[in-house]
Amino acid sequence: MKLELGNFYVKDICFGEKTSLKDGILTVNKEEALAVIKEDEHITEAELYIVSPGDMVRLVPVKEAIEPRYRVGGGPVFPGVTGDLMQAGDGTTYALKDMSVLVVGKHYGGFQDGLIDMGGEGAKYTYYSQLKNLVLVADSDEVIEQREQQKKNKALRWAGMRLSEYIGAVTKDLTPDEVETFELEPVTKRSKEVNDLPSVVLVLQPQSQMEEGGYNDLNYGWDTNRMLPTFMHPNEVLDGAMISGSFMPCSSKWSTYDFQNLPMIRKLYGEHGKTINFLGVIMSNLNVALEQKDRAALFVAQMAKSLGADSAVVAEEGYGNPDADFTGCIVALENANVKTVGLTNECTGRDGASQPLVSLDEKENAIVSCGNVSTLIRLPKMETVLGELEALARDGMSGGWSNDEILGASVKEDGSIIMENNAMFCGDRVVGWSTKTMAEY
Amino acid sequence: MKGILYLNQFFGQIGGEELADFKPEIREGLVGPAMALQAVLGNEVEITHTIICGDNFIGSNTEEAVETIISMLKGKEIDIFFAGPAFRAGRYGSACGHICKAVKQEFHVPVITSMNDENPGVEMFRKEMYVFKGGASAASMKKDVSAMAKFGLKLLKGETLLPAVTEGYFGRGIREQIWLDPPVTGADRVIDMLLKKVHGEPFETELSIPKSDRVAIAPAITPEELSTMEVALLTSGGIVPVGNPDRIQSASATKWGKYDISQIDDLVKGEYMTIHAGFDPAAANNDSDVIVPLDAMRKHQKEGKIGGVYKHFFSTVGTGTTQAEASRMGKEIARVLKKDGIRAAILTST
Repeated sequence: MKLELGNFYVKDICFGEKTSLKDGILTVNKEEALAVIKEDEHITEAELYIVSPGDMVRLVPVKEAIEPRYRVGGGPVFPGVTGDLMQAGDGTTYALKDMSVLVVGKHYGGFQDGLIDMGGEGAKYTYYSQLKNLVLVADSDEVIEQREQQKKNKALRWAGMRLSEYIGAVTKDLTPDEVETFELEPVTKRSKEVNDLPSVVLVLQPQSQMEEGGYNDLNYGWDTNRMLPTFMHPNEVLDGAMISGSFMPCSSKWSTYDFQNLPMIRKLYGEHGKTINFLGVIMSNLNVALEQKDRAALFVAQMAKSLGADSAVVAEEGYGNPDADFTGCIVALENANVKTVGLTNECTGRDGASQPLVSLDEKENAIVSCGNVSTLIRLPKMETVLGELEALARDGMSGGWSNDEILGASVKEDGSIIMENNAMFCGDRVVGWSTKTMAEY
Repeated sequence: MKGILYLNQFFGQIGGEELADFKPEIREGLVGPAMALQAVLGNEVEITHTIICGDNFIGSNTEEAVETIISMLKGKEIDIFFAGPAFRAGRYGSACGHICKAVKQEFHVPVITSMNDENPGVEMFRKEMYVFKGGASAASMKKDVSAMAKFGLKLLKGETLLPAVTEGYFGRGIREQIWLDPPVTGADRVIDMLLKKVHGEPFETELSIPKSDRVAIAPAITPEELSTMEVALLTSGGIVPVGNPDRIQSASATKWGKYDISQIDDLVKGEYMTIHAGFDPAAANNDSDVIVPLDAMRKHQKEGKIGGVYKHFFSTVGTGTTQAEASRMGKEIARVLKKDGIRAAILTST
């Protein structure tokens, strides 16, 4: 499989008459874009904003981030989700780089939603403060979940995907600034030089813990909860086969943008043929029942072994209960003599003194750690808030609270906030671009 | 700002082992290592007093020594407290830890000590204070004192503190996120670690998993045997007689207690409670049998399923307690049980 990603670098975004891209300036016809968003009758209110790095803007509750793309030759950017099923990862896709489409709730947040500060001291906590962002702030008629802590956010997330496809289509007849090629020879057809290098599989554990449909990450539109670990080509992940879900405290979450750009895949590609032989991706999942966890680990280890993997990288989208899947998978791989490195974050508590993972095993001897979900963060008032600040305190967002005996509510009268890192939008970047680690004090 | 230093009888220039029963004394000004400490602290902090106590005295009369010293310190200006360095001297290290802990609790000031990694005081106290990594003997006095003093100044000035390994003290088990400088992404770190691991080269994990010290599960006891055996009750759930006579700590425990239950069938409200600080105590305080199920055991005894209940139950607190301390306490309790021929025990948590 060969994927060509044609990249268009976006220097600036503005609203204007014609939705177009010229000399790195993306112009968006707001009315037309809003019409695309409102194609779904469940969207009741929608407005678009543009934010750039350094802007003193706070976005909350953020539900999703997507890279605008266009599938050359036709077809949905997200097969099985925004259109019919088709093979992802084999062909040409255009991408608007250095920007994302962000989806923000106009009023209601939930457990899985996060916060982004585009400027000031809070900016360092999320990746998305470095990007130019087209921000959709919207509400829906999904009244049934407005007051629920767990939200599927279906109308808003799908509106974000439609918007990103609409924006991505500006590249249709243009020539990209650069083309990146992603190609792996079939596993059994590789040269001796490549075969002599240590072989590596990447095991991804996307979020799939909700038994009820509508919350979990989707694989070609299929609920990852209903899936057993399966072998995938990394190009499929980079090209829209996976979309983010709507569950898990936000700093541990992987957005759709994270899947589209998954830095660990890009790094393994970069090393392929030089220091390693990148075999591919084993797409596993995260489960609730122990038997399901064990079954998934068993499948992963068997596949790695059958593929002849010398080593593996395991990354989990979550913490707490999913740590058991993470540890179980690493132990199963090590028991199969696959040398494994784990990629995760930790939950050491507000005082940093708690056990870092719920489940620990001595065989997990190589871990890269990306942060503490429960670090307390205090941030001053921000001039502009897109969405609704009160959502952080009111709606059960994972890093916010309406009352705490000592700390009070997360949102203060003067507009300043106190929260746990948990609510930073995809803040721990366990997909590979975290420059955070953990240190003992 | 003002500081005070704790020393043992030897470094306090009272004398050697023969004077290890020396009772606590407080001296104005600088004694022995206090001079080196003052030299590094310079004009920023004045060491106003030196406290001296014999290692044996505090070892066998810990509570009395700690109370005496705390009362000596009352009314004194203290911004920071130092103890040692204790090098590899076990009793001295333990004394430094006890005093630092009490000073921190009483006066809420930073406390700093220094010990060698082989000093048992390190495991006993590293979670509760800054224990600097010291040398094996007094040969490293200057270096160890200097490390304590420099860090003390940093604390008092409110400077940014670096991770334990960089500052030079034993990690306190507190893990926090930091940004790498220069930045290195997780993906780069993974590849670096992976290549070292597959090539059999040394690598450093970012999350060390403590070695588990597993004990093989003993063979099952048959119902026939059990019907003739006394069973002991142990808990890490902090159940104690109201008043906590052994003053077991509510977290990071280093003590355990044993309490006579030979004459009772039930741990009633108002007589027993939990002192465990790691969970909501309401249910346990209302009925301590939910943690130490004496009532249920008596029922089994009456039904003849067990021969009886051992005369004491054993209690400590599990939250924050180090593996090392837990293992020591476990061995001590096991010795008591073995001596009395007890072969079956039930250990409950919270």
